[in-house]
Amino acid sequence: MSGHVLQVQLTAAYGKRAVLRDLAFDLSAGEALGVVGSSGAGKTTLVMALLGLLAFHGGRSTGKVLIQGKNLLRMTEREARRIRGRLIGLIPQSPMTALNPAITLEAHFQAAWRAHESTGNQALRLRLRQSLEEVQLPADDDAFLLRKPGQISVGQAQRVLIALALLHHPSILIADEPTSALDPVTQSEIVKLLQRLTRRHGVAMLYISHDLISVLELCDRLAVLHDGAIAECIPVRHLEQATHPATRTLFGSLPVPISVLLAHFAARMRPQSSSDNFPPRPHATLTRNGAAQTDHSWPEDEGIALSANGAGRYNLRDK
Amino acid sequence: MKRLLPVVLLLLLMLASMVVLRLSPWRYATQDRVSILASSTLTHPAGTDELGRDRLVRAAAALLIGIGGASAAATITILLAAAAGLLAAFSPSWVAAVLLFLSDGFLSLPWLFLLMIVRSMLPLTASPLTTAVITFLVLALLGWPAFARTIFHGARGIRSSEWMIHGRASGLTARQLILVHVFPNLGSLLLPQFFVCIPAFLMAEANLGALGLGVGEPIPSWGAMLLELDNTALLISTRWVFLPIALLVLVLLLLEFLTSEANAHV
Repeated sequence: MSGHVLQVQLTAAYGKRAVLRDLAFDLSAGEALGVVGSSGAGKTTLVMALLGLLAFHGGRSTGKVLIQGKNLLRMTEREARRIRGRLIGLIPQSPMTALNPAITLEAHFQAAWRAHESTGNQALRLRLRQSLEEVQLPADDDAFLLRKPGQISVGQAQRVLIALALLHHPSILIADEPTSALDPVTQSEIVKLLQRLTRRHGVAMLYISHDLISVLELCDRLAVLHDGAIAECIPVRHLEQATHPATRTLFGSLPVPISVLLAHFAARMRPQSSSDNFPPRPHATLTRNGAAQTDHSWPEDEGIALSANGAGRYNLRDK
Repeated sequence: MKRLLPVVLLLLLMLASMVVLRLSPWRYATQDRVSILASSTLTHPAGTDELGRDRLVRAAAALLIGIGGASAAATITILLAAAAGLLAAFSPSWVAAVLLFLSDGFLSLPWLFLLMIVRSMLPLTASPLTTAVITFLVLALLGWPAFARTIFHGARGIRSSEWMIHGRASGLTARQLILVHVFPNLGSLLLPQFFVCIPAFLMAEANLGALGLGVGEPIPSWGAMLLELDNTALLISTRWVFLPIALLVLVLLLLEFLTSEANAHV
């Protein structure tokens, strides 16, 4: 029981159509669990059920979502609301539509702040500055916050949403395919950002995605969602031992054998070791080319370099 | 700029009408018995009607009364429609079903006929002002269902929008969801409906008036003034008879531009 920030055992259905069947997993403090599954496997349903919001989508969830020992599904709406956004943060799938086009970014932050904090504007301003810096958005530029969602880029919108999700220092972060609407360059920036922030704050993350490579990069464990249940849940470093057909099918979709990828990411974990295929780079990341790295990396930040999923995939294929 | 042009022209028209009413020595009901059915003269620039009333003054008054009345009626209608549409969109589905059934029922009534019935139930002794107020009020009370459905669908869109989901997921209170996420989006939902509603009501009033069931004499209204057009003798004697209908078409056209511009910018 101890050490688990989240324990889940869920059954969810829309009318008579069951979508999640006794799906069970748990999440330890600071751990990143990747959930992959093909479209229609129930990923979005899982997210909504975890937040206790499935009813708003015409669904019904039973079972337990234990957060700090309390079952979110048994709570009154009032109690559940106090959990959402404060203990669980959500990074949604499509950044552009998840922000209200009619109000400024500042209004988004104010609403999110006041939902759980009674302290005034001064405290918000302080926290806002800090969190904008964390997600590498202009923290000193007041004009930025006065923009509306239509006036910023998709990448910036996703950073805003990450900042919103982390505003109250939640212990659990749910990332619902946070990179699927982004271009490869922005994708890898966002993956890096998530990696850094979750480590810095010790947030446990449920990373839902169909992009296996970013899961390998970010997560400690991988859960394969198949047919409404977790088919297999194994530590990422032992992925080669996966046996379930759904998992093997997933591996089959990769451009390179899973062992090669694992060796690559393992090499990145230990910057000292060298690998023939992947000579260590300055940041031990896989880069598309030098130019892209200097163009897109953030000069003040050591951690951001072009890497991973999209870009890395092509590089690997070229070899 | 292009967007503002119809608004500016409409306001100019209304301003011109006010200036005419202010500066002209004639009131809309005063009869100049020496010049009945006059054509354009120095004292009556747009001639007079068969009762010797100044046509320019009457046309100006009709324009102001028409636009004012239609706008007021449109405001009431859109508020009613917004109340029904929003209530339906944010309530459990059975409430929505009942409200939509009601509005559908309302829509399937032969409403022009109903207008005529309601309007003809007014006693003949009703004061002209009362008839004017009642005409527009009846329009407002019968007009809302058509707009309620559109607003319902728009509000449904807001309710199930990703930003509302994200707002709920961020733990926003119901109050916050309404104030922060719903209200700011209502303008772009209601305003186009409002602008569609005004010309519809202007037309409805003109049609009712032409049937003799609109705003009562001597208050000038577009409907009453269009009645003049069935007098062939008058049509031959002066072209100024067409002033009211020309103004009506112009105003409708401007409102049409305004609507399409408003829709294009939502």
